[in-house]
Amino acid sequence: MKRLYTIFAGLILVFFSGNLYSQDLDALMNAETKPTIDYATATFKASRIINGHSIEQMKKKQLDFRISHRFGTLNNGAYGLYGLDQSVIHFSLEYGIKDWLMLGVGRGSYNKTYDSFAKFRLLRQSSGSKVMPISVSYLSSVELNSLKFDTTPIQTSSTTTTPRINYFSSRLTYVNQLLIARKFNENFSLQLTPTYIHRNFVKTELDPNDIFAMGIGARYKLSKRLSLNAEYYYTYNPNNKFTDTKYYNSASVGIDIETGGHVFQIMLTNSQGMREGTFIPQTTDNWFDKGIHLGFNISRVFAFN
Amino acid sequence: MLKQFLIPFLLLVSSVGVFGQGKFIAKNAYISFYSSTPMEDIFGESNEAVTILDSENGEIIFQGIMTTFHFKRALMEEHFNENYMESTKFPKTKFKGKIEGFTKDMLKAPVANIKITGVLNVHGVDKTITVPGTLGLQDGKLVAGSKFKVIPEDYGITIPSLVRDKIGKEMEVTVKVNYVPFAQ
Repeated sequence: MKRLYTIFAGLILVFFSGNLYSQDLDALMNAETKPTIDYATATFKASRIINGHSIEQMKKKQLDFRISHRFGTLNNGAYGLYGLDQSVIHFSLEYGIKDWLMLGVGRGSYNKTYDSFAKFRLLRQSSGSKVMPISVSYLSSVELNSLKFDTTPIQTSSTTTTPRINYFSSRLTYVNQLLIARKFNENFSLQLTPTYIHRNFVKTELDPNDIFAMGIGARYKLSKRLSLNAEYYYTYNPNNKFTDTKYYNSASVGIDIETGGHVFQIMLTNSQGMREGTFIPQTTDNWFDKGIHLGFNISRVFAFN
Repeated sequence: MLKQFLIPFLLLVSSVGVFGQGKFIAKNAYISFYSSTPMEDIFGESNEAVTILDSENGEIIFQGIMTTFHFKRALMEEHFNENYMESTKFPKTKFKGKIEGFTKDMLKAPVANIKITGVLNVHGVDKTITVPGTLGLQDGKLVAGSKFKVIPEDYGITIPSLVRDKIGKEMEVTVKVNYVPFAQ
């Protein structure tokens, strides 16, 4: 009986070890597989959702050349080819210094604006062995309005005037944004963009120098190369004290089409400016009153490594 | 009485020894793939593939994590993961096969040509392939390598007509491994 038990125990062990031996490689491979940190990539297709910045930025040594147009309002009708006769252009060069730092310079025909920006990545959404639910970046931008200064003397009374003094600093607008984004799944991404804009010089004393706004942007992937985007910027303190000029929140819908090295973004928007300092506080057209512009962005990426 | 415990104990010890014994591993195996067209060259490489070779029966296993493949152009890398490999759905590529006509002497001889047959899993699709390779000692170390072609369409990877001219019909895959004895 004792011997039988010994043999039986032995057989079980032999069987067991043999079993280990054949399942072996897969089991060993699993044991050797280190847990990975899976970073969310391609939360948005391009570095802009539509007008405003997205969480995406150029990786190190990648240069993005962007050309954007916004046409006149669609209600120009056939005579103005639905706004295509008038176009506002913006182009920019944007470069990844580091994976976490992108710098850009640009020029827009709207208010003849030069602009420069820096985008810093602070947090990256990830799953796996390190979990981070959101991505966060900080955007800082300076815009320079290069329109000719008004040099007409200031009327101080019905008969006297004083010469107008213009300062260079009056041309500058500063934009600060926090980009907070989450890729919920393969198809859906959402971004919140708290914004603070400081304008050194405003049109009237009723216009605020400091503008506070909240942007919300989303994209839904329709296919691997096509996505539907929407973007809305709510301004907390617009100057609507005048009846002749009214400012509206910027609202846009668009699609992104990706073709290898290019991303085409085609949109409908009520804003004609293409930089934060213009489209957030200075949108004067209204979606519900013939104020829709057709526009597009083209992005072409070059690699320098 | 002693014998009664001793025999199972010895067997237990030997069975533990079998696990991992006689195996070779490489945790930073090299895998690259390449295609060339007049429009564009596609080249991605990873130095982080894991492979284990069983010296008892010539079984061999590979595993590569898609996001460890790197490209010169960041956009290409993004497209590779997002549009072609769908790395969130299919994070790994695997190969499990057997060296044809394997003998233990192959591991002690200088590098020689071999043939490996097995199942390659890419993009969630299994396909049985037979590929040429090399295996043997080089400077006293066990090395292996292989160069073979795969057709992306065979693995359910669709390439739209828009970029068809930029991506070769076949990808040339290169594998280089420096094996070390497996240590528990």
